[in-house]
This record gives sequence, C-alpha cells and structure tokens, in this order.
Amino acid sequence: MNNLTQRARMQPVLGVGTGIAAFASAAIVFLILIFLLVFAWPAIRFNGSGILTGVIWNIGNQYGSSTVTHNGVTAQAGASFGGLVFVFGTIATSALAMVIAVPLSFLVAVALVYRVPRKLQPLANTLVELMAGVPSVVYGLWGIVVLVPWVGNQLGPFAQAHLSWVPLVRGETGSGNGLLAAGIILALMVLPIMVATLRDVILAQPPTIFEASMALGSTTWQAVTRAVFPSVRKGFLAAVLVALGRALGETMAVLMVCGAAINQFPSNIFQAVNTIAAVIVSQLDSALTDASGMAQRSLAELALVLFLITLVVNVVARLTLRGADRSAQ
Amino acid sequence: MLQAPDREDQPLMYVTTTKNAPEPSVATKLQIERLSVFYGSFQAIRDASLEVPENCVMSLIGPSGCGKSTFIRAVNRMHDLSPDVRVEGKVLLDGANIYAPGVDPVTIRHRIGMVFQRPNPFPKTVFENVVYGPRIHGIGNRKKLMEIAERSLRHAALWDEVKDRLDKSALDLSGGQQQRMCIARVLAVEPEVILMDEPASALDPIATSKIEDLIGELQRFYTVVIVTHSMQQAARISDYTAFFLMGELIEIGTTTEVFTKPKDKRTEDYITGRYG
Repeated sequence: MNNLTQRARMQPVLGVGTGIAAFASAAIVFLILIFLLVFAWPAIRFNGSGILTGVIWNIGNQYGSSTVTHNGVTAQAGASFGGLVFVFGTIATSALAMVIAVPLSFLVAVALVYRVPRKLQPLANTLVELMAGVPSVVYGLWGIVVLVPWVGNQLGPFAQAHLSWVPLVRGETGSGNGLLAAGIILALMVLPIMVATLRDVILAQPPTIFEASMALGSTTWQAVTRAVFPSVRKGFLAAVLVALGRALGETMAVLMVCGAAINQFPSNIFQAVNTIAAVIVSQLDSALTDASGMAQRSLAELALVLFLITLVVNVVARLTLRGADRSAQ
Repeated sequence: MLQAPDREDQPLMYVTTTKNAPEPSVATKLQIERLSVFYGSFQAIRDASLEVPENCVMSLIGPSGCGKSTFIRAVNRMHDLSPDVRVEGKVLLDGANIYAPGVDPVTIRHRIGMVFQRPNPFPKTVFENVVYGPRIHGIGNRKKLMEIAERSLRHAALWDEVKDRLDKSALDLSGGQQQRMCIARVLAVEPEVILMDEPASALDPIATSKIEDLIGELQRFYTVVIVTHSMQQAARISDYTAFFLMGELIEIGTTTEVFTKPKDKRTEDYITGRYG
C-alpha cells in the first residue's frame, strides 16, 4: 500500500519532468535565437543589408580613435562587415558536397541492402556508423595531410592539363586548400547519415516491390532505380536535406582545408573559399581586438544568418520526411 | 460443379471436380533434376525431380512449410536474390540448364515469369505497371506499349474493368484486380512459363474463381506451374499434380491419378485431410 501511494506520488513528478524536458529542447532553440538577435542587434543596424551583399570584411582601423557611426551605432573607422563571400562559400561547399555525396550514398545504400551478404551486413552497417563517429578534426587532419596535397599536386595539375575546357575547373589550381577539398571532406562527413537514412527508407519498403521487378527480368540496377527508388524518393530527399543541414554548419574540418579566403570569390573549384562557420572561428581572434565590439557582433550576425539557413533546411527536411512516412503507409 | 462435403470418410472427395488430364504432351518444357535447396544448413528441398510438359498446368500441393514455394522459386532463380540460399541440381528449360555457368538469371526470369502470393503492384499507374517489363527490355514507343498493355490486360480478363483508369494508381484497384494486373504485367513480357505462388490465397472467392478461369485460358499459350494450398483448386485447374511433404517430392502424376489413386500412403493421408 505504501509502495502504491509512493508510486502514485511519483506520477505527477514524472509528468512534469518529461514535460519540462520536452519543452526545454524547443525553448533552447528559441533562446539561442533570442540571444543571437539581441547580441547581433547593433550589427544588424550598422550593417543593414551589407551583411548579405557586401564582399569586404574589415574590422576597421584599430590604432586611431576615429570611429564611424551609422544608424546610431558605432564602429572603428573603415569598418566593413560584408558576409557575401562567406554565405556564398557556405552554400558552394555544401552544394558541392551534395553533388559528391548524393550519388555515392545512393550506391552505398543500395550495395548495403542488396549486395552485401546478410552475414556481413551488421559489420558493414557498423562501419558506416563508425564513420559518423569520427571527430570532425580528424577528418580535417586527414584533409590537411592527405587530401589537400593530393588535390594540389595531382588533381590540380591534371585538371589544368586536360580539363581546361570545363568551366569551374579551368584556371589557377593553387595549393589544394579550397572549395573542392572542403566539398570532399564535407561529403565524407555527411555520407554516413545519408547512407543510414536511405538504407532505412529502402528497408521500410515492402521487399515485394524489388522482387516483382526482378521476376519481370530486370537487373538489380533497374529494380532499384525504376521500382524501388520512386517510392523512396521523398525519404531520400529528406535524407539529403538532413545531411545538407549538417554540411552547412560543419566548422572545423572545413576550416582546416578551405583556404580561409577573405574578400575574394573563388573563380574555380580549386580556389580558396570560406564558410560562415569557418570564418566565425578564424576571425574571432581579431574580432575580439575590435575596440568598438562591432566585429564580434557582426560575427554573431553571420551566426544568425547560418542559424536561419540551417533552421529552414531542417524544417523542410522534417516536413519532407513526415510526408514520406505518410505516403509509405 | 459438384462440391463434395468436406468429410474424412469420403477419401476421394475431389474426384467429381477433377478435370480430365490431356494426353501426355510430346514436348517437355521444364525438367527438374535432383533439385535441392538449402537455407544455410537447413535443407528445404531434397533431391526433387519432375517434368512439366508444355502448355499444361501443374499444381504443387502440400502442407505449409513443405517447400513448395521454395521449389517454385528455384525454377526462375529467385533464390539468387537471397545470398544465404544455395541451390543444387538442374532445372532444364527446353533442355538447357538454367543453372549452368554463364547463364544470366535476368534472361531466365524474362522467359519464366512469376506471380506472387500477394498482389505486388508498383506504386505507379495501371498502365506503367503493365508496361514495366517491356520498358525495361527496351521498348519505349508509346503506341507499341499501349498495344502491349491492352493485349496483356485483355488476356488477363481485366481490360474492361480498367480501360478507363489506366492512368490511375494501381494501388486503388481491388485485391483481385491487382492480382490480375500482376498477371497482365507478367504476360506483357511474353514469358514461356508462368510460375504462380498461391496467387489466390489473399483473395475472396469471387476473385479466386476469376483467377482460376484465367489460368485455364493461359494454358493455351503458356506452361503454368502453380503452388496452391487448396486441393480443390489444384483439382479444378491442373492437369498434373505434385505432392510435397517436408521438402520431399512424394508423388507426381496426372491430377486424376493423384487424387483418385494415390500411389503413396502419405499422399492419400494428405488428400483425405489427415495432415490438415
């Protein structure tokens, strides 16, 4: 009896506890948004639309006492916080990563489901999941030691010699630090989540669809692309969007191989770029020296832009996934 | 058609509905020699050998788990899709072993079609379902595909029911219509042999009788091997019947023979209902 009342007393505790936990995750997202908005507010006023359209990032003259005031907020003289290069770099590296990762993850998922013998499947799945567990900085280190020299010394010269007719490839290829290296690293980093999601979507389909196609004399490839894929298309799209959300915000590995460009756009896939996430890290040091504080606030404004981009991508991904679940029923 | 009451004291109750077997046909379409199928270390089929003459219907009967579905799936190399299944023995289609090295299972499945236990339409339109096979075999001409679709659907006795909804989703058809559409889909690839794995088990009696009528029609052009758990169905539609038990082919003969004068005690026990 005593035990029973004790349990009955626990009931509301549990209810309130889980309620708080559920509410907390939504509240945290909201509070981060509020924090960014408040902290970046002076920068939003100072920069106006320049944060999205400006190309020059300059924290201004830190040695004189001259300042410039705009919209009621003050920064060091000569300050300009244009974020277009970074917004472009963020989208370009992620887009390139998707171009590489989408077909690759499709092939890997198809191989995992239909080609790997059942006994080896747990091992193969574990390997894919391990890939997801490798720390970002390790990918970055591999990028610096192996990938960047390969792009700079092998792929770049090869492209210059043989592929100079291809737009976005021709031109100076540089050291290997740049858009391509960042795209490849990002592709590897988002591959596990895409493979895992796509594998699960394929496995959620009734196997009869695959069998039906095979029994009509199709090849495995035809069965997958013509019979199975049309019914997993939405799930696949959702997987791509979830991966895209991650790629957009990935920081360390990208920073290590992207070349950390400032005030310039790449003219081909080999040249240096920078992403919002990477520039926040690489420019934070100098921003902290800004006497007016506007550089920090402008970095926060960039963070806000990134936050909104990934938020939109993730919401679209969730909606797509929900739609996919519904159409699968 | 007379239906004998389902009672144990009438051992030969299916005689009345058994159709007369034709004269043994000259050509052997399928010849299966010492077929064994293994799931890992479990042997699901033991050394089964049988012959299927051309343009006839053969039923495979036996209690659940006796291996009849496993057997039929070996005939168009569907087991190739499961990495853990091993097939031994020979399956000769017009005298050539389909398991010989160098034989492409894709071409075999083109020649030996299969209808599954549950209707398995693709989530596409009726039209796209039916022309799926021709499309993957390279036919792209819309007019040609339309001809194939109409011919196959007519042949599957479904044309009149779906001609106005060819561009509607196949998933909106009734179960029986879906199954006939799946048969039409197989006919569209013009196979030589059609394997059916309990094609009516998920259907209501009316849909079942339509499928059975259809099988009778198909026999004129195709060789049909059908797995069924219903002995009445076997008796109604097939010329030959093979009885499987625990992975072994116990008896094979004309349907009349098997149901009226079974040679094996176990066959008799089964058809008289002693195995359920």
